[in-house]
Amino acid sequence: MAHNASSSSPTPRTGAPDAVILPAPTAWPIVLAFGITMLLAGLVTSASVSILGAILAVVAFVGWFRDVFPSEQHETVPVHADSAVVFTYRHHVERLAVAPELARAALPLETYPVSAGVKGGVAGGVAMAVLACLYGVIKQGSIWYPINLLAATFYTQSLYFGTTSLKAFHLNSFLLACGIHLVTCLLVGLLYGAMLPMFPRRPILLGGVIAPILWSGLLYSVMGLLNPLLDKKIDWWWFVASQFAFGIVAGLVVARQTRIRVHQVMPFVLRAGFEAPGLSGEKDEPR
Amino acid sequence: MASEIIAINEFAGGGQSVGEWLHGWVTTVDHKRLGILYILFSVFFLVIGGIEATIMRIQLMVPHNHFVSPEVFNRMFTMHGTTMIFFVAMPVLFGFGTYLIPLMIGARDMAFPRLNALSFWLTAFGGLLLYFSFIGGNGLYGAGNAPDVGWFAYAPLTSRAFSVGHSTDFWTLALLISGIGSIGTAVNFITTIITMRCPGMTLGKMPLLAWMNLVTAGMVILAVSPLTAAQIMLCFDRYLGAHFFDTQAGGSAVLWMHFFWIFGHPEVYILILPSFAFASEIIPVFSRKPIFGYPIMVAATVMIGFISMSVWAHHMFAIGMSSYGNTFFTITSMLISIPTGIKIFNWIGTMWGGKIQFKAPMLFCVAFLFQFLIAGLTGIMLAASPFNWQLTGSYFVVAHFHYVIVGAILFTLFGAFYYWYPKMTGRMYNETLARWHFWLFVIGFHLTFDFMHIPGLLGMPRRIYTYEPGRGWEFWNLLVTIGTFVQGIAVLIFVGNLLWSMFKGPVAGNDPWDAWTLEWSTTSPPPDYNFATIPVVESRRPLWDLKHPEDPDWKYE
Repeated sequence: MAHNASSSSPTPRTGAPDAVILPAPTAWPIVLAFGITMLLAGLVTSASVSILGAILAVVAFVGWFRDVFPSEQHETVPVHADSAVVFTYRHHVERLAVAPELARAALPLETYPVSAGVKGGVAGGVAMAVLACLYGVIKQGSIWYPINLLAATFYTQSLYFGTTSLKAFHLNSFLLACGIHLVTCLLVGLLYGAMLPMFPRRPILLGGVIAPILWSGLLYSVMGLLNPLLDKKIDWWWFVASQFAFGIVAGLVVARQTRIRVHQVMPFVLRAGFEAPGLSGEKDEPR
Repeated sequence: MASEIIAINEFAGGGQSVGEWLHGWVTTVDHKRLGILYILFSVFFLVIGGIEATIMRIQLMVPHNHFVSPEVFNRMFTMHGTTMIFFVAMPVLFGFGTYLIPLMIGARDMAFPRLNALSFWLTAFGGLLLYFSFIGGNGLYGAGNAPDVGWFAYAPLTSRAFSVGHSTDFWTLALLISGIGSIGTAVNFITTIITMRCPGMTLGKMPLLAWMNLVTAGMVILAVSPLTAAQIMLCFDRYLGAHFFDTQAGGSAVLWMHFFWIFGHPEVYILILPSFAFASEIIPVFSRKPIFGYPIMVAATVMIGFISMSVWAHHMFAIGMSSYGNTFFTITSMLISIPTGIKIFNWIGTMWGGKIQFKAPMLFCVAFLFQFLIAGLTGIMLAASPFNWQLTGSYFVVAHFHYVIVGAILFTLFGAFYYWYPKMTGRMYNETLARWHFWLFVIGFHLTFDFMHIPGLLGMPRRIYTYEPGRGWEFWNLLVTIGTFVQGIAVLIFVGNLLWSMFKGPVAGNDPWDAWTLEWSTTSPPPDYNFATIPVVESRRPLWDLKHPEDPDWKYE
């Protein structure tokens, strides 16, 4: 090996025993494996093969048990005198002298707990659902219309049944819509909880206005391609209004929660694995 | 010098008669010897599976070819798939796990050394039984010998009406036997990792290789068990008049599909997670940096373990599932790209800013990163059910999963061979030959599997025996076959390098890579007892701490 060894600091081992006890070698595992194989191979060859396999397996079982009962068979292996030593070929490096105040974390030092995102998601989801149901009653004359429409994002066949069917109650669609709504609201709530600390000055602007506009704009631009039938059924003004309702309520609820300190107080260079001792608080003793 | 003597004694049986040497290997319960046996067994079957692939590729090289008969061709693709998955990929990964896990967690052996031996021999005899079918499989009515029902053996092709003779039974019994061995190994891995870690090695300080093998072992128990049950049910169908998979008597062919793929898709992750483990050990050492984002790597591994259990039916989009089923399996199949993507970012993060050394193990891992990314992207394409309907059963699918199994798994395996070869043998491999191996294999791999996508997109079905000229497939198939030969030459260089180096390679020393995990703290090859004294660790890189007492890792973890 053509290493450029710059240092060699062997760490001597002490207290090694003269011998070590290990499990003794045994033929019973291979005999048992062969016996099981023969036993099964007899099904496609000859009954005599199975009989031989069964005999081998039984003998191996007995031999194996005698190996480990009443006490396990061991062998004593002497320890070699030349125990391994540990050394490095690595060049020694100087420690960086960086002032502690320069080791500033770029991420927020405080964030919202997971429960804040859950609460925000649930509250926003309720606000959104109320507005959507209001739309159903006022514009379509049925509370089930927006619910069936939401379920149709996954169960597209329901769109083919026409507007009358969309205004009727369907248990499957109701359950599906509830599931979609709950999961989506919780996930977006959690996202708000994670993102709002990054915009600490105007959380409501982000959560209640910017994010709903971006999301609605994205959906509006692609829905015609993804699902043209569904696109025709959506009233986009009401859709944007319900997005605002979710965003504002979720943002408000999240922003009112108590913040907690993040664990990522270590500078990026250390979390990225750079060798930069002295950049952060170090422990004096191993745990 | 001591290492050299041990190395020669270990492999050439110095100072022993051939009988004593052989007896030592046959009766061994030492995890290192069993690990090496697993690996040698797999390499042997890799060569056989490779020959079968080459026969198929020669047959498909030009249109209207008759290099082999259609019957032989069917046997070749069945045996190739079965061999590569069950008797190459799984055993070789088990072999590395069996060899490395106790060494990396500071233990003297596996928790159940005798079960370890039993598991290996069951796997070995399972493989031998499968190939015995070439000799003993001639059943009644002049039926064929080796299995020819494809590696996933769909019903009703496996029923006695369509598979007369015993060829399918050999397939069933061989997989049943090796499956028992796999479950035994998995139980051993889990118990060893949970109970035998050295003092100080909490789960949060355990090497990623051990973590990933722990998750893999759990998946093996969950995934192989249904397959084993299905094999027994198939035996009942064929010989005891049961009708589990007999559609004409109230059974269900789709039931077999579910049983097989609930094993088959987690199996991909059972194979890829240990490969991830190799990359997670090799990339940091050759980047001279600790792994980036250790906790999230562990979390991503566990996530992959869970999600992979819920994606199996994306192999079955074409059977006509409900829109709910299609949607669910599309979403879960796409979801798994999140933890795998996290891993790719973390490996790149580890390399970022590092002092990268492009030795052979690292070369293979870097190629793995690129190729696994492409394999993942075609995987996402196939996870979309409408896309899948168009291309399922085509060579596009064959190209995709070979990109995963060769481009990702085999590449990291080659990296692992080179990385731990000095530890296992006490000798260094030849770096120049290793680079020849790498570049030839990269060229051969891309010639074969990049261009294999194209005939698939042009409609070439998998398992086709031959084809008409004029469909635009000829040129691509010729390139694919040429690539196969280039890969074959590369593998010959690899095997030659390892054999030559075992006797003529320079002595490696205990720690040729200046690495950080515990296996490098003992001699090469390690003594029977692994460690004279059980080590005590304080961080994820115990050897770093020993080498750099002025700046140990435990200060920052």
